[in-house]
Amino acid sequence: MKMFILGVLLMSSLVKAEEIKVEVKGMVCSMCAQGIQKKFKSVNGVESLDVNLDHKLVTIKTRDGEVVSDSVIKKMITEAGYNVGNIERK
Amino acid sequence: MKKALLLFFISLNVLAHPVIYQGGIAVSSSNMGDMNNNYILYSITNRWAFGVEHWRMGKDQKNNDYGFLKMNHLLWRHNGDDSQANLYLHGGLGVVDQEWRNKNLKSSMMGGVEADWETRVLYTSLKYLEFTSTSMAQGRIGFSPRLANFNELQTWFMVQGRWVRDMDETIQITPLVRFFYHNILWEMGSSTRGEWLLNFMIHY
Repeated sequence: MKMFILGVLLMSSLVKAEEIKVEVKGMVCSMCAQGIQKKFKSVNGVESLDVNLDHKLVTIKTRDGEVVSDSVIKKMITEAGYNVGNIERK
Repeated sequence: MKKALLLFFISLNVLAHPVIYQGGIAVSSSNMGDMNNNYILYSITNRWAFGVEHWRMGKDQKNNDYGFLKMNHLLWRHNGDDSQANLYLHGGLGVVDQEWRNKNLKSSMMGGVEADWETRVLYTSLKYLEFTSTSMAQGRIGFSPRLANFNELQTWFMVQGRWVRDMDETIQITPLVRFFYHNILWEMGSSTRGEWLLNFMIHY
């Protein structure tokens, strides 16, 4: 059991911070896009979030050891009222 | 200064999406001449918002004061690559105070439909609301002279046409300027009849 917990801790510490670029459709109004920022405040693992209306992109930076899955990203953006296009991870 | 502040606060108006993001609260107040509208709405999902709304309509001391428990529904949305289009339904149950008719606090209802289409530089909207004792139609068209990004001040120039049954003999035309910055929107204008429009909205 100890080895298992140690293994999980070790694995999670190996997860590096990511930069995730999310294409968002319908994001034409900065005031409305505030909803995206607000929704991601409640997501664990999000270090920072940037909204770029010119490129219709939301850039999410995650923390070391934390994973923000595609399904969570899609859920948050859909709840903010938008559609998700491509998700690119670096 | 006092007069300017008073004018600002009594003229607060909110004219933006009737349903916002899930968990969002929209607070709005509006006034233009013989009409005030104030509401607080909580969007339980990005499709449904509930709250309370007040309307005051009338002139020459013949005011209809409506208070509603309000429900707004986003019936349809199209999120395009560079545009967004929406169709909303409005519904409310409450009371109307028509003191000038000696009819205090009569039960009242309202309902309506609203549609908008916007890009980052163009905006159009149409709204029709039916109340127990009146109805209102309003349309807007506008453009933004500059593409502002997320954290920048956004400016729009718009023209609003409004008609209220028993209040407006003709369509009241109001050129206005809209600003928004972060979660705050405000609008200022003056109708061709010389009535000031000042609108304000905040999203939490």
